[in-house]
Amino acid sequence: MHGFAVFLGKEISEIVRTWRLYVVPGIMVFFGITSPIIAEVTPSLLSGMASSDVQNIVIEIPPATTADAYLQWSNNAVQIALFALIITVAGAIAGERRSGTAQLVLTKPVSRPAMVVAKMVSNWLLVLVTAVVSAALCIGVTALMFDTTLVREFVALVALWYLLACFMVTLTVTLSVLLKSQAGAAGAGLGVYFVMSILALWTVARDHTPAGMLGLGDRIVTGGEGLSVFWPVASTLLGIVVLAAFACWAFNRQEL
Amino acid sequence: MSGAIEIAGLTKVYGDTRALDGVDLTVPEGSVFGFLGPNGAGKTTALRILTGMARPTSGGARVFGHDVVRATNEVRSLIGFLPDIPGYYPWMTAGEFLRFSGRLFGLKGPVLEDRVDSLLEMAGLADVTQRLSGFSRGMKQRLGVAQALINAPRLLMLDEPTSALDPMGRKDVLDMIAALKGKTTVFFSTHILTDVERVCDTVAILDCGRVVRQASMAELKHEGHAVRLLVEVEHGAEVLQPLLAAEPWATECTREGQVIRCIVSDMGAARRSVPALVAGEHLPLVRMVDEEPTLEDVFVEMVGGR
Repeated sequence: MHGFAVFLGKEISEIVRTWRLYVVPGIMVFFGITSPIIAEVTPSLLSGMASSDVQNIVIEIPPATTADAYLQWSNNAVQIALFALIITVAGAIAGERRSGTAQLVLTKPVSRPAMVVAKMVSNWLLVLVTAVVSAALCIGVTALMFDTTLVREFVALVALWYLLACFMVTLTVTLSVLLKSQAGAAGAGLGVYFVMSILALWTVARDHTPAGMLGLGDRIVTGGEGLSVFWPVASTLLGIVVLAAFACWAFNRQEL
Repeated sequence: MSGAIEIAGLTKVYGDTRALDGVDLTVPEGSVFGFLGPNGAGKTTALRILTGMARPTSGGARVFGHDVVRATNEVRSLIGFLPDIPGYYPWMTAGEFLRFSGRLFGLKGPVLEDRVDSLLEMAGLADVTQRLSGFSRGMKQRLGVAQALINAPRLLMLDEPTSALDPMGRKDVLDMIAALKGKTTVFFSTHILTDVERVCDTVAILDCGRVVRQASMAELKHEGHAVRLLVEVEHGAEVLQPLLAAEPWATECTREGQVIRCIVSDMGAARRSVPALVAGEHLPLVRMVDEEPTLEDVFVEMVGGR
C-alpha cells in the first residue's frame, strides 16, 4: 500500500475541486430537502387526479405520515442516487488508464492496490458526508412538516443505505479495473443492481445476501417484526472485503 | 563503467506478434543513450517492461542491478519516466502536480518546495498559474521532463519525448535533455534521427523487436560504413569527375554542378592523389573535405530502408 495516503489526498482534492463534488452530493441534498415535501403533497395530487378523471368513484387517500417522508427519501436514495453513484464511480480506474495518468503515477513508487483502495475510500468518505448532510436535512424538513418521531429508525435506514452504497462503490471500482472502460463498468454496475433487485424478491436471497439491503431500511421504518439484519449486513461487509481484495489482485496482474 | 540498464534475451509476445525478440542491451551509467528505431520497432514495449507496466514473455532486465519484474518499487524509486503522451489531472496546476509527484517519492517540506521551484524554473513554467487543462503540448512535455526529475533520478527514461512537438517545443525539450548530460543517465527512445545526433552519446538501433546495433555515436558513424570525399572546383568538374572515378580508391563518384562526391575505400590514397589530379588539369580547387556519414545513412543501412 505504498503511496496510499498521498494518493488518497489527491483523490479528496479532486472531489473537492471538480464536478464530483456536485453530482451525487447535489442529488442527495435535493432529496434530503424535497422528500418530505413530495410525501406531503403526493396524497392531495393523487386525490385531485382521481376526482378529475373518474366520476362517481370515491378514492380515499390517507394523509402523509412521517414514515412516508422517510420512505420517499429511501426510494430516491436507493434508486436515483445509487444510479448516479455507479455512473460517476465507473471511471475510477478506467479513467486513469484512458487519460494516461495511471501510467505516469504508477511508474512512481505507488503500489497498484494503494491506487485501487484510495479510489474506494475516497468515494466511501464522499458518500458518508453526503448521507449525513442529506439525512440531517431530511430529518429537519420532516420535523417542520410532520413530527420528530421515527428519527432512530430513519438513522438506521440511512446507515443501511450507506453500507449498500459502499458495496456499490466497491463493486463499481472492481468493474472499472476489470472492464477498462467507464461506460462498460457503469453498464455492468447497473446490471448488477438490477439483478440484485430481482434477487431481493426471493426470500432466501433477501434474507442472506446484499440484495436484501435494497429494502431493509424501509422494513425498519415501517416496523417489520422479527426483522433480522445480520445476514444482509454481514454478507455485504464480506462482499466489500472480497471485492476490494479481488480488485487489487486483478489490477496487480494487468499490463498498462 | 557499470550498466544502468542491462537487458538480456528480452522477448515480449502479443498473440502472433513478437514485439521484442531476444533484445540484448546495456546502457552505460552516465550516458545519454538514444534508443532508436522506426515506429513499431518495439521501443515503447521495452520501456513499458523496464518501468513495470508490462511483463516480459521471456528474458529479463535489470535497472542498477534490480530485477524490473521482482523489485518494481526499488526500480521506480531510482528512475524518472516520461511516457510518449503524458496524462495529467486537468484540475491541477504545474506546481501542484510536481508536489504530488514528489510526495509519492516521500519528499516533503523545504526539500520538496525547493525542488519544485527549481524544476518549474528549468521547465520555463515558474510563472504559469493556469491549470494543466489549458497547457499546450510543449508545456505538457516540458512539465513531463520536470516531473520525471522530481526524485533526482539516477536514470531518466523518456519515450519519444519530442515526436508530437513543433520545432520550438522540440528545441526546448532537447535543451532540457542536453542540460542533463553528466548529471544522470538518460535513456531516450525516438525515431527522430536528428534528435539523437543532437543529444545522445551512445545509441542502439532497434528494428522488428531486435537490436541491430549498439555503439557510441562516433563508432556508429565510422565503423564499416562508407566514407565520402567532397571535391569542389571553380570550373571543370565535368573533366575531373571521370578522372576521379577511374582511381582505384573511388567506389562511386557523382557530380552536382562543380561539386563531386566520391565514396572512398582508401581515404589516405584519395587525399594524396586528388590534389595532383586537380593540378594536372589546371583546375582551381575550392575545397576538399571528408564527409562523415549521417546517422540517417547508418540508420537506413541498418534497418534496410524500411
